[in-house]
Amino acid sequence: MKPLTVCVPRGALLEGSVARLKAAGFDVSPFDEAGRRLIFSAPDGTVFVTTRPTDVPTYVQAGAADVGIVGKDVLIERQPDVYEMADLRFGECRMVYATAADEDPTSGALNRLGTVRIATKYTRVAQEYFAMTGRQAEVVKVNGSVELAPLVGLAHGIVDLVATGQTLRENGLVAREEIFESSARLIANRVSHKVRAAELDALAARLSGIS
Amino acid sequence: MTDLRPEPPGLPAGARDSLPTESEELGAIETGLRGAFAAYGYREVATPVLEYADVLETAIDQQLGDVYRLFDDAGRVMVLRPDITVPVSRLIATRMSDHSGPIRVFYFGRAFRPPPPGTPGASEVRQAGAELVGASGPAADAELIALLHRSLSAAGIGDLTIAIGDISLTEAILDGIGVPREIRTRLGRALAARNLVEWQEIAAAVNVSGPMRELLYELPAQRGGREVLSKVCQIAPGAEPACRDVSQLLTLLEQYGIAEDVMLDVGIARDWPYYSGVVLEAHSSNVGAPLAVGGRYDRLAERFGTPRPAVGCAIDLDVLNRALTLQGTNGDREASGVVVVDGLDHHLAAAESLRARGVPIVCLPSGQSDPAEFAARDGWRYVVEPDAQGFRVLDTRDGSSKTVSSLEDVVA
Repeated sequence: MKPLTVCVPRGALLEGSVARLKAAGFDVSPFDEAGRRLIFSAPDGTVFVTTRPTDVPTYVQAGAADVGIVGKDVLIERQPDVYEMADLRFGECRMVYATAADEDPTSGALNRLGTVRIATKYTRVAQEYFAMTGRQAEVVKVNGSVELAPLVGLAHGIVDLVATGQTLRENGLVAREEIFESSARLIANRVSHKVRAAELDALAARLSGIS
Repeated sequence: MTDLRPEPPGLPAGARDSLPTESEELGAIETGLRGAFAAYGYREVATPVLEYADVLETAIDQQLGDVYRLFDDAGRVMVLRPDITVPVSRLIATRMSDHSGPIRVFYFGRAFRPPPPGTPGASEVRQAGAELVGASGPAADAELIALLHRSLSAAGIGDLTIAIGDISLTEAILDGIGVPREIRTRLGRALAARNLVEWQEIAAAVNVSGPMRELLYELPAQRGGREVLSKVCQIAPGAEPACRDVSQLLTLLEQYGIAEDVMLDVGIARDWPYYSGVVLEAHSSNVGAPLAVGGRYDRLAERFGTPRPAVGCAIDLDVLNRALTLQGTNGDREASGVVVVDGLDHHLAAAESLRARGVPIVCLPSGQSDPAEFAARDGWRYVVEPDAQGFRVLDTRDGSSKTVSSLEDVVA
């Protein structure tokens, strides 16, 4: 059988993922030496691939990786067809709706304009959340520095992931509503979940710190 | 950038063409599958691409969701069939209701699903499937699973895993543990979404303790051999009848000689509600999607007025083709055939007699430049050009050439 391929997100979850892999007994030295390499093998044969966080489900769903570590936020936004095997309980953060700290423009916008304008990377989350709460929203997709949007009048508020809230504070924003809590998850390809059942169950237990 | 070329003619999202090599490979797959279906006495049927939406929706007891819809002259909503199992069930219930059964049929066809926005999914899925109608119990399930195993093996899959679960077994276990109805609905939804984290969160709220609690917690992860069955049946009271059926199914699969490639998987879920007994998925480690899915749906045919138990499966031919390509068995076709320069105008009788012997003859006009390149591109073996002595023959396989006096002598 092919070596086990693990997809690890670059970005906020990388450090926690590597720490967890190390605690689970993987030799993670290749991560320190990797530099800009995107794929490398551990001495035990395990292949690690590193991708942007939002691409992890794509690789796993297609079977390019057997398992992956990814934030729940990405799973809710992307709705991939993969097994969500374990809550790894690190990388905890909240998906929130945030607006300017001095005055919340939301109800004013809804009353006067009938709709509130939201800037976000998470368009599906924002659309579904505002639809669910019975409010009309225009969702604007931005790819980074979401906090900027309300400051320059692109949007009334933002939907974004918040860990400590420091970025919000520094930009004069405050979380008004919590949408869901997120943490890192272990996901598995549909076929790998069957064909490598014992291997993946053991991996899930090791990464969760159960054994 | 200025580009004055006309925009290339596009295709709707998810639609795609098949070129000759792919078509030949699919043809070879189809030949393998047909041989397996025939060996079990299954006979071919076909249903139309267009069906009435309300007929299918009544049958599956839910809205069709994302399908291609159009209207007939009277304004009635039609759909491009999103699957073939339900139409074949309709066909058997309405056209073959006087058949004493069991009825064994297979089909080849396309099912149509609009791909979700932003995903590379195909809008047409090429499928082959088999249905065994009018027979119930582990023996019928075993035949269908054996047929699926033989079909995929005949198509060339070398590392097959067929995962089987049983809806009635899972229900019996949940009954035995005493999981309340409303929690079961939520568990079912979590399972259909393959969300084992959510399953465990819901399970944690159920008021049981000890081994039963652990079993409930780990139920969707229970996959393996017979030991899984004895484990769950020891713990969950009242699950014995369902366990006996699955155990008998495993015994029959051992007699078919395929038990090694079968794994029990209590957590297989189907998102269509018409499955009632065994459910199955076939996997190859080379591709990340199931080669085939299927199961038992004893309550489907009655929706069309002829109650009859049924078990069936549908093979995704595109996934199967991808698995064979990645496995490396979809090699290049062995070069054969004869390219005849000036064959369009002359040597017609000789060409016909070769064709009658089964040798492909590909004719080119006289004066065609570089016929060898033409032959290499499409995988033809011999290139024949008429000359003063008769015909000059190039064998592209080894580069040798010879001269023959008549066309029939090209292939000795």
